[in-house]
Amino acid sequence: TGGHTTEILRLLSCLSESYSPRHYVFADSDKMSEAKIRSFEQKRSETFSNSQFTLDRIPRSREVRQSWTSSMVTTLYSILYSLPLTYKLKPDLVLCNGPGTCVPVCVSALLLGLLGIKRAIIVYVESICRVETLSLSGKILYYFSDYFIVQWPDLKEKYPKSVYLGRIV
Amino acid sequence: FRFKDSLAEDMGRADLVISHAGAGSCLEALEKGKPLVVVINEKLMNNHQLELAKRLHRDGHVLCCNCSTLVETLQSMDLSALKPFPPGQPEKFAVFLDEVSGVQ
Repeated sequence: TGGHTTEILRLLSCLSESYSPRHYVFADSDKMSEAKIRSFEQKRSETFSNSQFTLDRIPRSREVRQSWTSSMVTTLYSILYSLPLTYKLKPDLVLCNGPGTCVPVCVSALLLGLLGIKRAIIVYVESICRVETLSLSGKILYYFSDYFIVQWPDLKEKYPKSVYLGRIV
Repeated sequence: FRFKDSLAEDMGRADLVISHAGAGSCLEALEKGKPLVVVINEKLMNNHQLELAKRLHRDGHVLCCNCSTLVETLQSMDLSALKPFPPGQPEKFAVFLDEVSGVQ
């Protein structure tokens, strides 16, 4: 969604073409991200000629302030949806930055790894808005990601296994 | 106006930005190098949304107030005391990612 998309596109801005093709996965209820992504990729294709990307939508895992019990149901539904998608894409690297949408995708990627089908590196970058506390996605993925990046020193102290590179968006 | 797709143009022409504590708004103003007064409405916002505004205030990048103290803040503010907000560095992320994913 909105802020997350803007942030993740900034994260991608300095990456080389080794990171291709890029598969963007976002919530079906998200109206604005597609335009931002296309605009970013359009500019990118002006520099890199063979730039490739795809767009996929999955059911939104959770609405803001949705209750615990119903969140578990909707997240489970999203996981069932994202499993075949992740299996089809078989990513080498999963990069995410915090919307609920990323949890089902990461869970799917982890499952594929556990089943010996495809082992992806999972990199999570917590939003710049998170100065002292982690988002819910962050709290979950802190334990399941390969690299967990925070953008403020307070979080690095609280979560010692995280990586602190300063502000990167 | 009630809603625009982008405030980039308006912000570009402004001498001062007065905003709610939403991260997107704050960062947009700061990145354009505009002096920023953040109006905090504790009743309306989640705790986590205030984290960034409070930190920016603590680091001297923005002025903070609430609805009732806005006028007073505008009358007595010293914008020259605000520190510039350096841009983020996605290059550092690229270097890191290249290292961990084994890209040459």
